[in-house]
Order: sequence, then structure tokens, then C-alpha cells
Amino acid sequence: MNFGQVTLQLLEGFGTTVLVFALTLAMALPLGLIVAFGSMTKFKPLRWLTRTIVWIIRGTPLMLQVIVVFYVPGLLFGVNFTTRFTAVIIAFVINYACYFSEIYRGGIESISKGQYEAGQVLGMTKAQIFFKIVLFQVVKRIMAPVSNEVITLVKDTALARVIAVEELISASNDIMAGFGIIYPLFYAGVFYLIFCGILTVMFNFIEKKLDYYR
Amino acid sequence: MKKLLIFALIAVLAVSAVFGLAACNKDNDWAYIEKKGEMVIGYTIFSPMNYKDESGNLIGFDTELAIALCEELGVEAKFQLIKWENKFFELESKNIDAIWNGFTVTEERKESTDFSLPYLKNKQIAVVKKSNAAQYTSIESLAGKKLVAEKQSAGESAIMGLEDITYTYIRQESQLEAVQEVLSGTCDVAIVDRVMAEGTLKGASFQDLQILDLGLGGEEEYAIGFRKGSPDTLEKVNAALKKLYANGKIQELAEKYAIAESLIPIE
Repeated sequence: MNFGQVTLQLLEGFGTTVLVFALTLAMALPLGLIVAFGSMTKFKPLRWLTRTIVWIIRGTPLMLQVIVVFYVPGLLFGVNFTTRFTAVIIAFVINYACYFSEIYRGGIESISKGQYEAGQVLGMTKAQIFFKIVLFQVVKRIMAPVSNEVITLVKDTALARVIAVEELISASNDIMAGFGIIYPLFYAGVFYLIFCGILTVMFNFIEKKLDYYR
Repeated sequence: MKKLLIFALIAVLAVSAVFGLAACNKDNDWAYIEKKGEMVIGYTIFSPMNYKDESGNLIGFDTELAIALCEELGVEAKFQLIKWENKFFELESKNIDAIWNGFTVTEERKESTDFSLPYLKNKQIAVVKKSNAAQYTSIESLAGKKLVAEKQSAGESAIMGLEDITYTYIRQESQLEAVQEVLSGTCDVAIVDRVMAEGTLKGASFQDLQILDLGLGGEEEYAIGFRKGSPDTLEKVNAALKKLYANGKIQELAEKYAIAESLIPIE
């Protein structure tokens, strides 16, 4: 097993890691906004329900959530997931949407009442005020906490292996188990490090681009 | 109040319906597999039973035997990586149809799974550092040492059986990680399958380790695990195993993976 072959097998696992990351982000970011609206609504039962869900999801380990999403349908209904990957995505999207929703809520609630009042004076509708005035200020304020979550997500993808989805760490384990060489495990760490490095640079760039309203 | 009562009633009904459904999906196991046209085999990666070659293809003694056996049965062999500690969970929830990965037959396991005829001999052995090997001569020499084995493994059962000596026991995720503990010096002795240890210790990173037979736990056998209460599947599989032994296929694979001396004749 030479270095090139190790790299190729790790890249295969890394592909799954990136896919989990990208799909989770693409779905959890918008879903988080919906959850945030749910937890801020004036309709009490919905607000109560949303906040309970957020409490449960943030209050239990993601590892447990992945296990529950994957095994419970089979154990209770006899209906199984055809791909384990789908179960991982569902669990990750729900989990991250809840975390994002709280970041959004903090951002939205931090916008002063004056901004809404100014919009009303100008004769804008509620939706116009939110999408044309509030949202841009929110995006700016929440960028730092969001980047934190995004970088955490990169490393959380390793949890996919609790239901035996072959991501980067399990790919490195396979090589260790098959060939009795240990360095692939540490080599896998380099992949995460580079990935997070690229994301950090990207977020720095985005924050610079967001220096409007100064 | 009335609404709440109705809601509670609906909830109770829904829950009982769910359990009702769960209870009645236990029909003929072989018919289920045959209808799918594939037997899903749950495995973990360990050399020489199931592991990947240089280009990432799944190979190994159990891998090739499973393919040959499924061909004999007229279904397709599909391999599904599992976490070893979840094996019964996976089998019961029908994510897999067989546990086939150097699966040691034990009395406790017979309560949760139906075993095929055994096909390979196994033994629990100790893996230690070469430099310390001289001090391990008997089971008694394990006294005061840090032992490590895989959760829910036959090695763990062997350690649990050590009643006369005191020791520290660390439970690890896999046999490989147990061996790694010894390599890094965080544990003194790993108790793992002989077949696994012989396969793994060939690797370049494990040259400082040595296998010792301390006479732990006695002779063991590997077999294939199927869902509890599936005599139809067992009958089919056992017949196919006999045929593959009779025509020399099993012996041929054992030669290929250098485990011929551990084979159990299947007649």
C-alpha cells in the first residue's frame, strides 16, 4: 500500500465527508430561518412546539440523533432506509437547522425597533421591511457565529460512522485494519485541517465583503 | 379537556398500531431474502476475513466465501459495513440478513441469533509488545496488568472469565483499536481473535508486537449468524456450505488467505 494508494482511498472517504457537509449546509441554512420564525411567532402553541423541538435537538447528542433516525423506523415500522447516507443527512440537517435558528433569532432580535418604525414611516409592508432592511443587517451580525457552526460541521461529519457510513475517518480505519499501517489516521487529520483552512479564508473574505452600512 | 382526551386516545391508538405492525412482520425469513434477490451481509473491516485491497475492492476469506455461497443459493451477496456493537440491532431491524465477519459462536449469542455450521477454528490470544513478551508466561502473569479487548467480543468474555486475578480492563471499539492500545503503550495486553491478530500483525506498523497463546477461553468456532427463528435460511445455508466444502471451494479460499490449518471440515 503506497502513499498514492492511501491518498486515493482517503479521498474516496473525503468525498462522502464533503457531500455530508455541503448537503447539510444547503438544507439547514434555509430550514434554520423557518425554525427561527417558528420560535419567534406570536402564535403560542407553535412557538411552544418549536422551542421544545429546539430544546430536544440541542439537548441530546448528535450521535444519538443519527442512531435514532436510522434504526427507529426499522425497529418500529419494519421500514428501513435504503441508504444510510440519507439518514445521516436527515439527522444532520435537523440538528444544524436548530443551532442556526438560534443564531438567526439572536440576530433578528438584535435589530432595533427603530429600523422597523422607519420602514413603516416609509410605507413599506412587513415583508418588505424584513427582506429589504432587517435581513441584510442580520446577515452581517451573524456571520461570525455562523462560521463557527460551519467549521464545527466539518468535523461533526465524522459522526456518520456510528451507522457505518464510510467517511474520511472510517476510510483511514479501513486501511489500518487491512494493512496494519497507522499513519493514514493522522494523514486524515490533514484533510480536515486543509478543508477548515479554506473555509476560514472564505469567511474572512465574506466578512470583508459585508462591510456595508458603515 | 374533551379535546385533550381525544388527543390522548389517538396517541395511544397510534402507538399500539405501531407495535402491532412491528409484531407481525416476522414471517418466513428465507422467503424474505429470496424475494429481495440479495442477502445483505453485515461485516466490519478486519484482515484476513473482510478487508480492502490496494485499489479499494473488498476482499478477504469471508468476503469470497459469502459471494460463493450466495451464488450457490441463487441470490446476490451485498456487503454492508456495520458497527460491531450494533450487530444484533442491524440484524433484527433487517438492515442486514447475516452477521458474517469471523463471528465467534458463544452460548450468550445463541440467544439472539441462529448460527450456521461452524467453518473455522478460532482462539483468544494475547497481543503484547515484543520487548515485554518474556514476562507473560501464563494466565496468572496477567495479574495487575492493563487488559484491553473489543466491546461485546469473545475476547471480552475471556477477560470476564478471569476470576482469580486482579486486572484493569479497558473496553475498546474494535479489535484493531485494542491492538493499537498495546502498540502505543496505553495498555499492556490485548485479547483478540487469533485469526485477526495473525492477519493484522503482518502490517508494517505492528512489527513491535507479538502473539502469545496463554490458554485463554479455550477453542472457539466461527460461524454465520442469522435472525433468531429462521430454520429455513439455516437449512439452505448449511446445505450450500457442505457443497462448497465437498467441491473444495472453501479449502481453496483458505489456502489463498493462509488460514487452511484452522478450517473445520463441514460434512
